[in-house]
Amino acid sequence: MSPLLDVRDLSVGFKIFEGYLSVLNGVELTLGEGERVGLVGETGCGKTTTVKSILRVLPMPPARIAGGEIFYRGKDILKMKRREVQTLRRMELTAIFQDPLMSLNPVFTVGTQLRDIVKDSLGASGKKLTKKQITARCIEALKETGMPDPERIMSNYPIQLSGGMRQRVCIAEALSTTAQLLLADEPTTNLDVTIQDQILRKLDELVEEKNTSVLMITHSLGVVMDLTQRLYIMYAGTMVEEGQTEELFASPLHPYSQGLMKSVPKLTGEGVSDGIPGRIPNYLDPPAGCRFHPRCEHTMPICQTEKPPLFNVENGRHVACFLYRS
Amino acid sequence: MTDTILVVDKLKKYFPTKRGTVKAVDNISFSVTTGETIGLVGESGSGKTTTAQCVIGIYPPTDGEILFKGQTISEAFSKRSKALKRDIRIVFQDPGSSLNPKRSIKQILSVPLKVHRVATKKDHLTKIKSLLAMVELPPDEYMYKYPQAIGGGEKQMVAIARALATDPSLVLLDEPTSALDVSVQGKIINLLMKLQQDLNLTYLFITHDLSLMRNVASRVAIMYLGKLCEIAPTVEFFQNPTHPYTKMLLSAIPVVSQEEKALKPTKIASRGEIPSPVNVPSGCSFHSRCSEKMDMCAQDDPVMVEIGEGHVTRCHLYQDTKVAASIEQEEGVHAQDPVDQPRGDG
Ligand SMILES: Nc1ncnc2c1ncn2[C@@H]1O[C@H](COP(=O)(O)OP(=O)(O)OP(=O)(O)O)[C@@H](O)[C@H]1O
Ligand SMILES: Nc1ncnc2c1ncn2[C@@H]1O[C@H](COP(=O)(O)OP(=O)(O)OP(=O)(O)O)[C@@H](O)[C@H]1O
Ligand code: SF4
Ligand SMILES: [Mg+2]
Ligand SMILES: [Mg+2]
Repeated sequence: MSPLLDVRDLSVGFKIFEGYLSVLNGVELTLGEGERVGLVGETGCGKTTTVKSILRVLPMPPARIAGGEIFYRGKDILKMKRREVQTLRRMELTAIFQDPLMSLNPVFTVGTQLRDIVKDSLGASGKKLTKKQITARCIEALKETGMPDPERIMSNYPIQLSGGMRQRVCIAEALSTTAQLLLADEPTTNLDVTIQDQILRKLDELVEEKNTSVLMITHSLGVVMDLTQRLYIMYAGTMVEEGQTEELFASPLHPYSQGLMKSVPKLTGEGVSDGIPGRIPNYLDPPAGCRFHPRCEHTMPICQTEKPPLFNVENGRHVACFLYRS
Repeated sequence: MTDTILVVDKLKKYFPTKRGTVKAVDNISFSVTTGETIGLVGESGSGKTTTAQCVIGIYPPTDGEILFKGQTISEAFSKRSKALKRDIRIVFQDPGSSLNPKRSIKQILSVPLKVHRVATKKDHLTKIKSLLAMVELPPDEYMYKYPQAIGGGEKQMVAIARALATDPSLVLLDEPTSALDVSVQGKIINLLMKLQQDLNLTYLFITHDLSLMRNVASRVAIMYLGKLCEIAPTVEFFQNPTHPYTKMLLSAIPVVSQEEKALKPTKIASRGEIPSPVNVPSGCSFHSRCSEKMDMCAQDDPVMVEIGEGHVTRCHLYQDTKVAASIEQEEGVHAQDPVDQPRGDG
C-alpha cells in the first residue's frame, strides 16, 4: 500500500541578497495512515521548511523548490492547482506552527479566529451550525488543550496570553479541524510537562479515533520517545537516519545522531554535555559530499566528495553515512 | 552570612481585564543569593514571566516589594536609575523576534553600549568584539551579519552577549534554550555556566525542562497559579519532592532512559479542570487537580512551612501547626488578601 504522505528527493532553497541558500538537500520522508512519526534535528536544519513545503505555504520568493515531489494519497502536492491545495489544507492537512504569535493574527480576538476555523472546516464538509453551537465547539476545543477559563480566552487578543496559552490556541485550532494529517511543529515547547502530557494523550486519542497521521517535530527527545513509533533524524537539509524510535534511541548509528542523543540533559544529573563541536554549515556554500563531514570524527575521503545515500542496515534501519556502506 | 542579591517580598501583580482581574502573581516571596542559579518552573500561565517582568521593571508591582542589593526597586521602570538598568538584564525565549532583523549584529550590540553609556564611542568596536568573543562567535565573521543569516543558537548567543554588554550582576533567563535542539542547548548552557563563574553572575532561570533544571539550578522554585508551591535545593528537590503539584510535574517529565524513569515518582495523571487566574479556587488553589486533596484544602489556603534545610512547601499535608503559626505571625496580615481576612482574628 502506498503511504499517505511521500516526500521524495525534495530540494528547497532561498534566494537572498548574498546568494542562494541551498537548505533542503534531497529530503526523503514517508508517513503511513494512522502513523506517528517524529522528526528531530539541529536548529536550522530545515524541519519547518519541510513542513511549509508540504503545506505549500513557503513564501516564494525568496523560497524556491529546486526539485522533488510531495505525494499526498498518490497526488503530487507541488503540481496541484492553488484551489486544490486550499481545499486540501481545509479538509485534510493541518499544522500547528512553532511560533504561535506568527500564526495568530494580533488584531483579532482568539474567539474570532477560532470561530473562523471551525466555520471553515464545517463549510468544507457541508455541515451547518448555529453561531452558538460554533462558539460551544471552540470552547470545547480550548478545554481539551487544558486551557483555563476558555470563555475569557475567547475574548482576549493574542498579546494578552502567556506563551503557553497562545500555543494552546493553535493546538485547539488544529483539533477543531477534520484533518487526516497533522503536522505538529514544536507544539508543546512552551508548556509545562503536565499540560504537555495532557496534550500528548489528546493526540493519542485523535490518532486512535480518527486514524489521523502525525508528524511530530520537537526538540524534546522525551516527547518523541513517548509519542512516536518511527523517527527521522535530520541534519543540514537531509535525512541522516531513520528507524523505529526505540531502536534509534537505544543505538543511534549516524555520528550526528550519536552526538545528539548524548546531549540530552538527564534527570540523573550528570551535567549538560557540550553538544557537538562545530556548527551547522553555511547554506550559501554547504560542504560537498556528506554535509556533516567537517564536524564528523570519522570522516573518510569519500565523505568529502560524495553525498551518502540512505544505506539499508539491519532490520529496516536506514543511515546516510559511508561507515555503513556494505 | 550568604550574600543576598534579590529579595521578592509578598509580590503581587494583578492585571485588570474586561473579564475580571487576573492575579498573575499573587503574593510570592523568595530570595536569591549572589552567584546562584535559581530555577523557576511551573504551569504555563502561572506567572513566571510576569515575575521576571516585575523584577526587570516592565511592570510595576500591584503590591509587595522587590529589593535588589538591599534597595527597593519596586518603582516604575522609567524611574529606575541607569545604573540599576545596567545591573539587571533579561534574555528572552525567542531569539528570532527579540533581535531586530534590519540591524547587523554590530548595530544590535552597540545599542546597549550607547543607551547605557558603557563605553566611549571610540571603544565601541573593541567592546563589541570582546562581547562576541565572550559568547564564542568569531567577531570578524559575525559582526556584519544580520540575524536571519545566522542559526537559532547563534542568535541566542547574540542575545546573551547583548544582555551582558552592560556588565550586569543579575540576569533573568526566560526559557533561553527552549527553542533550540539539545546539542545547541548544551553549548549555550555550558557557556552560561562558564560566564557565571567568570563574571560572578546570578541567574533567575525560567524553564519547563526539569531535566535541564536538574543540571543547572542550585535551587528550584515551583509556581502554580501565581503562587509558589515549593522551593528546595536542587538535589533535595528531585530526591524528596513534597508538594502534590511538584510530584505531578516530576511524574510527567518525558524521559529517554530506564534509569531516569526509575527516578520519577509514579505517574500522577493531570486531572481536573485547569482553573483560571481570574477565578482562583478557594483554599489551596491546587485542590481542584490534587490527588491528595482533603476536606480542609478547599477552605484554607496553606502557608509556606520549612520542612528541611532551605526546603519550604505550601500544602496542608505538611502544615505542622506550630511552625505554621509562627510563620503566620511573622507574615502578619500581609500574608492574606484584605478581602479574605477573617473578621476578629481569633
Ligand atoms: N524566508 C526565509 N528566507 C531566508 N532563509 C530562510 C527563510 N526561511 C528559512 N530560512 C533558512 O532556512 C534554514 C532552515 O530553517 P528552518 O526554519 O526550516 O529550520 P528548523 O529546522 O525548523 O529550525 P528550528 O529548530 O530552529 O525551528 C535556516 O538556515 C533559515 O535561516
Ligand atoms: N498584559 C497582560 N494583560 C492581561 N493578562 C496578562 C498580561 N500578561 C500576562 N497576563 C496573564 O497573566 C498570567 C501569567 O502570565 P505569564 O506570562 O507570567 O505566565 P508564564 O508562567 O510565564 O507562562 P508560560 O510558561 O506559558 O510562558 C496569564 O494568565 C496571562 O494571561
Ligand atoms: S494543600 Fe491539599 S489540595 Fe493543596 S496540594 Fe496539598 S493536599 Fe493537595
Ligand atoms: Mg522550526
Ligand atoms: Mg512565560
